[in-house]
Parts: sequence; structure tokens; C-alpha cells
Amino acid sequence: MPSYKLTYFKHWGRAGVLRLLFAAGGIEFEDVRIEREQWPELKPKTPMGQIPILEVDGTIICQTKAIGRLIAKEAGLAGKTPLEAAQVDMIVDGLSDLQVKIVDFFIEKDEKKKQEKIKEFAEKTLPMFLDTYEKLANSSGHFVGDALTWADVDFFSLMFFLKDHLPNDPLKGHVNLTKVRDNVTSNPGIAAWMEKETSH
Amino acid sequence: MPSYKLYYFHGRGRAEPARLMLAAAGLPYEDIRLEYEQWPEYKPKMPMGQAPVLEVDGTMICQSVAIARFVAKESGRAGKTNIEQAWADMMADGFVDMLNKMADYVWYEEDEARKAEKKKTFFDTTLPEFLGYFEKLLVANNGGGGFFVGDGLTHAEAFFLCLSDDIIAEKPNVLSPYPKLAALVERIKTYPGIKEWLAKRPQTPF
Repeated sequence: MPSYKLTYFKHWGRAGVLRLLFAAGGIEFEDVRIEREQWPELKPKTPMGQIPILEVDGTIICQTKAIGRLIAKEAGLAGKTPLEAAQVDMIVDGLSDLQVKIVDFFIEKDEKKKQEKIKEFAEKTLPMFLDTYEKLANSSGHFVGDALTWADVDFFSLMFFLKDHLPNDPLKGHVNLTKVRDNVTSNPGIAAWMEKETSH
Repeated sequence: MPSYKLYYFHGRGRAEPARLMLAAAGLPYEDIRLEYEQWPEYKPKMPMGQAPVLEVDGTMICQSVAIARFVAKESGRAGKTNIEQAWADMMADGFVDMLNKMADYVWYEEDEARKAEKKKTFFDTTLPEFLGYFEKLLVANNGGGGFFVGDGLTHAEAFFLCLSDDIIAEKPNVLSPYPKLAALVERIKTYPGIKEWLAKRPQTPF
């Protein structure tokens, strides 16, 4: 098995899902979490001046989804056929589109504008997105086939991140999506990881 | 052989990387170009209410990068090992980041002053920074005289060609500080299958 070294900041952010994928696959990895002050020195050593990066036997890969797909393949969570893999990819890409909207309000410095953006997100953008994704998930609580994939884990990861920024549980009333979340949290590797992550 | 139907509008836009990979693979497909008036009828049939969509024997795949990667894999042009595939994916994602920054001011910014400001920042700051990374990453693959990944064309090249078409249209000498990238553009344009497609594809504003 290759040696894996993941580097990101300490928070959930873009690497949360990657750490979950390692956990789901029972794959050992070096989980490097840097302080903000260390970033300027590291930046020029990264392929595109960004993190997360994953070092695999000396090769450095960047771009969250490229990394996610690599780990998912190792963990058997990337889809069982090329068509299933494409379906997993499309779910992840849609989540990434939503994440752009989240980043937009997250980094807004004007407090009044920020609150307006969060309101628009919580009342319009997110509900519309979840209605679409409810139809894409099946009644066994999976986006692709009937087993856990990166698509399910990525969905959970984004909802987990949003949890602290929204007043209510956005999945209320979404039966399939609630099942997806339950399937992910009851995966043994993920359950153990989340216990560790959220206990301090 | 599966049947492929690609749904999009009259343009290169987000569908062109898939069209380029279909051309490179020599795979026949229905290149459906919807009029805007047809879109309200088709939108509810699409998985996320968006185009492009690739219909493969009745299964609908959306999201332009997922589609391009799927088509690339159909002819073994997505990278030969997990690491090669990750490298191709990483390059494609980097190009898409740049395409998204352009789309941001071209399509999503209505204020003329803000539009001009964003465009200036893109061409003066963001794009040069990333072209620098891309040139270095190309060189990292055996000196940069071939392709981004391994020894063959992948979907990374398809996204790169789409990006370079757009940036060169705005600034014709934009790649001259990046000789390996500039030379690669010519290699992509003469790649069997792609060369013929470029000659016959509809000329469209976007």
C-alpha cells in the first residue's frame, strides 16, 4: 500500500471529507494539520499554491476532488462501474457547486451583507438544492447503487460543516437524504473517526 | 457500443471538453444543440436541471467534468494508474478553476465597472500565477514536450484547450511566457480526431 500524507489546516474545511474517506476505507495516513503562520512557507512547495495536498509515495497531488477520487478508489468507494463512477463524480461536483455559494457567504467581511447572504442561502439556495438531491438519492439512503460511496460521504461532510451555520436541521423532511446521513454516520470507520474529531 | 447523446446549447462552453474527448476517441454521438426556447421543456428531465448532460443508453450523467472524464475513460484516455488519473484530474480541475473565474465576470457579473475590474484582476494577477503553475507541472512530466500525464492525451488536454481558446481570444500572446504550454496547444490541435473536429465544428460566439 502507498504511503499517504495529507496536509491542510486544522479545521474541517476542504479536507474534512478526505479524512473521512481514509477512515471509511480503514486506510492509514499522516494527517498533517498546519497553523496559518506555516502556510506562507509551504505555499510555494505546493503544485498550485493551495491546500489540501496529498503526498503519495513522494508525488504531490492537489485539488480536493482529485485527491478525494484517489482515496475513494483505494477505499472501494468510487463506484463499481465507469457509469457508476460518473454518477458518483456528478454528485460530488454538484456538492462542490453548492460549496462555492457557502464560501461566498463564509468569507463575506461586511456583516450586514453576510447576514443577507446567509438568509438567501438558508431560505432559497439550500432548500432548492436539497429538493434536487432528495430525488437523486434512493430510498436505501445512497446516491449511487446500494452501497456507500464517496458521494454519500461528501454529502454528509458538507451537511456536517453547515450544521454550525444554520439554525435548523436542513434535512428535516428529506427522507432519503436523512438515510444517506445515517448510513454514513453508522459506517464503523467513520463513526470512530467522528467520535475522535468531535470529542475535544 | 453504447449510444451517446450529448445535450447542450449552441456553443462550445461547458460541453466542448466532452466533445473533444469524443472526437479523440472516434466515438459517434448525437451532438444535440438546444435552442433556448426548448430549455424549459428539457430542464426538468436533467438530473440537476442543467446542461451539459450525457445520456448513455438512457442513463443521464450531468456535470461537465464528470462527463468529460467518463468519455475519456471509454477510450483509455483518463490516465493509466490511480496516480496518473489523479494527476489528470488535478490538472483538469485547475483549468476549470480558471474557466469558472472567467465565467464569473462574463456571465454572472452585470455591473459593467465590476465586470471590467474582475477581468483585469483575472488577466493581470490570477491567470499569470496559475499559468506559471501549469507550465511547471507540464515540465514535471518528462520535460514538458509531451502531454500533462504519462505519454498520452487525457481529459486534462481537453480542458486546457478550452481554456487557452478563451484566454487567447482575449489576449493573443498570453501564452508566450509559457513556451511548453504554447507548444502543447499546437500538439492538441493536431491530435488525430481532434484536428478533424476543430475543422468542422460549428463556429459559435461561446
